[in-house]
Amino acid sequence: MTPVNTTNITWIEGSVVENEVHMSIVELSHAARTPQEMIMSWVTEGVLSPTGSSPQDWRFGGDSLRRAKTAAHLAHDLELNIPGVALALDLLDEIAQLRARIQRGD
Amino acid sequence: MKFKDYYETLGVARKASEAEIKAAYRKLARKYHPDVNKEAGAEEQFKQIGEAYAVLKDTEKRAAYDRFGENWKNGQDFTPPPNWNEGFEYADDGYGGAHPGYGGGFEGDQSEFFESLFGRGKHRQGGRGGHSGNPRQGMNFKGQDHHAKILIDLTDAYNGAKRTISLHMPTQDASGHVTTQERKLDVSIPKGIKAGQNLRLAGQGGPGVGEGPAGDLYLEIDFHPNPIYRVDGKDVFIDIPLAPWEAALGTTVNVPTPAGTTLELKIPAGTVAGRKMRLKGKGIPSAEAGDLYVVPTIALPPADTDTHKEAYQTFEKAFDFNPRTHLKG
Repeated sequence: MTPVNTTNITWIEGSVVENEVHMSIVELSHAARTPQEMIMSWVTEGVLSPTGSSPQDWRFGGDSLRRAKTAAHLAHDLELNIPGVALALDLLDEIAQLRARIQRGD
Repeated sequence: MKFKDYYETLGVARKASEAEIKAAYRKLARKYHPDVNKEAGAEEQFKQIGEAYAVLKDTEKRAAYDRFGENWKNGQDFTPPPNWNEGFEYADDGYGGAHPGYGGGFEGDQSEFFESLFGRGKHRQGGRGGHSGNPRQGMNFKGQDHHAKILIDLTDAYNGAKRTISLHMPTQDASGHVTTQERKLDVSIPKGIKAGQNLRLAGQGGPGVGEGPAGDLYLEIDFHPNPIYRVDGKDVFIDIPLAPWEAALGTTVNVPTPAGTTLELKIPAGTVAGRKMRLKGKGIPSAEAGDLYVVPTIALPPADTDTHKEAYQTFEKAFDFNPRTHLKG
């Protein structure tokens, strides 16, 4: 066993993606392991709503990463087309909201 | 090693057609997909289905697998006979079922059974093929971004925390084989983080190609299940049981918060079960902090002694109370 000197630990600081990170299409493509063209088609379909007017200026904030990852999984695993992915994400959001309402006891 | 009956996993007959196998797989994959099905065990089920389909959709693999005959049952002890797959040739597409990003950072985790028969699938560079992953000589690429899920305590989100986490990270050697290595990371959990959010650790992902920088590691946060608190986004809920007389006459109760503090809460006379009381700003902290909701419930003391029974009878005599007046009949 190597003695652990706790005073020497360097704690890695991260950034909370949903609050602090506004990704470019290049970053989101890399993080979600999805081609940029696919991300563009999801934006067209309303799956993702970046700020900015052209793909070069787009910034993806909030839950864009989660949505893009889910979209990529669904497209890959279930071979859903773009409108199918959009519909599935909308329905999943609705299920999440209903579950939350049950949880809150509303 | 246990035998896996891939036909049973997909619920198809051994003589099922390719179309039947595909349809069965699709149906099960939709049902157990971990993004769709949040039940415990769904993810494991999804991996099993993916593995079964990876074998049965592939004519060569299926033919080789079929040579074991139909007498093998799921879970039976099994050792593949030597040279059992002689003369079969597979297109080396590995295992297409599970995919990166699920579980604690595992990538492409086939069962021991699958691996012993078909080898470890080559890890697909770039995951979903999104990036032209052929690292050419003299080219510089940023390393892969990795994803893992970690569980933290609700208290950590209130107070912030420093945690050492273990991740199982796949590493790929020069010949493309993937091995899983445990890796420990000392991570600072920021105050105010919520379930479902991602913490980006810059440069902690896969190594870069050439002069390219390392990728990032994304930690998806979830909370350990908590017996006392329920969480919805930044709002937190706690049930506070009250005795009937406390609810009727009012009282003061101590409410423990996930931050570790205790708040005194005045329960007004005539409190009704389920009518939430909001403690503003006592939810998960952030620029706009969440709220802590106290949900009163009424607990009835058991009438298990004569004195207790008498007390209930006195109660009964004192009230002309029928809680069912709104029901007809």
